[in-house]
Amino acid sequence: MANDKLQIKKLHALSSENRKFTFSLPLKHSIRIGKRDYEVKLKSDEKLGPYILWKNRKYPVEIVRSRQNKYEILFNDISYTFTVETPFSLQRKIVLDSKRGKVEQEFIKAPMPGKIIDVLVREGATVLRGEPVVILEAMKMQNEILSPVNGVIMKVYARANTNVMKDDLLIEIKVS
Amino acid sequence: MDLSGKPYKAFIQRQEAIKKQYSKKQAEKQHSKGKLTAFERINLLFDNATFEEIDAYVTPADQPVEFGKVERSYGDGVIVGHGKVNGRLIFAYAQDFTIMGGSLGIVHAKKIAKIQEMALKMGSPIIALIDSGGARIQEGVASLSGYAGIFHNIIHSSGIIPQISVIMGPAAGGAVYAPALTDFVFMVNHTSYMFVTGPNVVKEVLNEDVTSDGLGGAEVHARKSGVAQMIYDDEENTILALKKFLSYLPSNNVENPPVVSDDGSIGDINEKLRDIVPDDPNKAYDVKDVINQIVDRNSFFETAELFGASLVTGFARLRGKTIGIVANQPKVLAGVLDIDSSTKGARFIRFCDAFNIPIITLEDVPGFLPGVDQEHSGIIRHGAKLLFAYSEATVPKITVILRKAYGGAFIVMNSKNLGGDFSFAWPSAEIAVMGPDGAVAILYRRELADSDNPVELKKELVKKYRDKIANPFIADELGYIDEVIDPAVTRKKILSALNALSNKWVKVPARKHGNMPL
Repeated sequence: MANDKLQIKKLHALSSENRKFTFSLPLKHSIRIGKRDYEVKLKSDEKLGPYILWKNRKYPVEIVRSRQNKYEILFNDISYTFTVETPFSLQRKIVLDSKRGKVEQEFIKAPMPGKIIDVLVREGATVLRGEPVVILEAMKMQNEILSPVNGVIMKVYARANTNVMKDDLLIEIKVS
Repeated sequence: MDLSGKPYKAFIQRQEAIKKQYSKKQAEKQHSKGKLTAFERINLLFDNATFEEIDAYVTPADQPVEFGKVERSYGDGVIVGHGKVNGRLIFAYAQDFTIMGGSLGIVHAKKIAKIQEMALKMGSPIIALIDSGGARIQEGVASLSGYAGIFHNIIHSSGIIPQISVIMGPAAGGAVYAPALTDFVFMVNHTSYMFVTGPNVVKEVLNEDVTSDGLGGAEVHARKSGVAQMIYDDEENTILALKKFLSYLPSNNVENPPVVSDDGSIGDINEKLRDIVPDDPNKAYDVKDVINQIVDRNSFFETAELFGASLVTGFARLRGKTIGIVANQPKVLAGVLDIDSSTKGARFIRFCDAFNIPIITLEDVPGFLPGVDQEHSGIIRHGAKLLFAYSEATVPKITVILRKAYGGAFIVMNSKNLGGDFSFAWPSAEIAVMGPDGAVAILYRRELADSDNPVELKKELVKKYRDKIANPFIADELGYIDEVIDPAVTRKKILSALNALSNKWVKVPARKHGNMPL
């Protein structure tokens, strides 16, 4: 009914490699990884910004970008991406993931007419999501075309110094 | 207190009956689809225990029903009421899919109309949480007239109170026009759909196979059709985002947006702004990096992120006050204006204008997107919308030219003579009729054709053009922009311009309405 407050007692952080970390709410200075609890303090000061206090040493953390419940943080010069889920949204995610068919191939097409300046990948190369694969000059601007997925380049259709039309196939990637 | 007296008996019985109606089984059915129940959504949206329901006990109309049965239920499949969201009065209706599929009968429609009229009278935003199978077939034309009444109310309130739709399940047939008429549409990925005709009809009529998600899912509407502005992966994030979104908006068209405190961590003089735009004019950058170094920290809320992405629109704050941002995005399609980005920008500007939100334009635009596709699809007509919206808006309008400002696109992007209040330019700005390469090719056509070494000559002429013409200083000396500024002081300049504009008042001519090219 209207006044039964939906209470969220814990949150899960899912890393991009599908590792799960659980926090209890309100936030305590402990985090559960696997089956063990670890004591970790999250603090911040003016000089360092936010940092993690672990075994009396300070490790600065930078939130590079956050979008909705997705976060990219920089910690010890390594960037991590993960999503924060409530128990209900986690359950929903599992249900939806099981229903959804896996995309196996990704086709990168020219977003607008232009001239290919450079092709940065070769067939058989592995690419990460967000990595530039082709440079397309259009409207006097060099546009980096990024890979939308992690995968292996199956076929390169783009050739440097050739003109392409909108929606011309540039690259075919096998999603891994 | 003993409430077992006679008049109270019926009162208590009713209360118990309505409790039974919302069974655990129904809730689980919603949950198994990855959806929340209507009450769970309401509870997430409103501050703790502030929601007051209205018309909880109404039941469907007793009318001759030719075929099918109408389930007698309390509330008729919709919860309406008001409450506080972050302390502010907000009206809402939430359709309940567990009662007759959330279908809209005449009583259901009357409840919605009632709350719409109340929201308008009180001058408070209204939120529609939509999860409905559509018109109730059993009730026939009565149900259709119900929709018409709802549409009419939305249009009547448009520009007076913010109206936001959140699609959390199906919305099909005529029902889609209710959200389409509102100011902003939120959708939940994979569990919400909007289409005029569903996949079954498409299959029957055109023999095309398409899934609900592929035809009218959140991703499709956010990326391709532009119907939905904000999409999220689950309902909880959708509602949290909606709450944040509401914090930028005034309650109605006569109020100013709420002011929040600013931690002051983005300084009025910010040297980081000097290093974002690359020296090479052919290199792209992310204009959101510029936005984030100007506005209050973490205050930028982007709208319609995936649609017409060569133009970035969104709300942000400057010293705690809401502003609307319109910025060309060099990272996407070189920041061109095309059909999608023009219409997206026009609609955003009109929303800001209706609700007293100053518009800050960050300009780096190479021009309109050329090509047969764009011309034949009507870039002239759609580009005119952006032009119209900018010129018509009477809220404070400030432009900062970061780099390219060429041709028609320079005029459209809130130029001074189009009614822009303040125009600033960074030293990296290039203001001219067209870019150096194009201009040189036209101006020196003969010389280039006669030359022994046209490539070298062209390079030389381009450099000369860039130095002499494609810069902000000529426009500055002629008074077409107000000032060439150091990028580092951009925030300071915008703040002082907004301060100067705080009493801006424009007398609009008496007329029914202008005739915007739609």
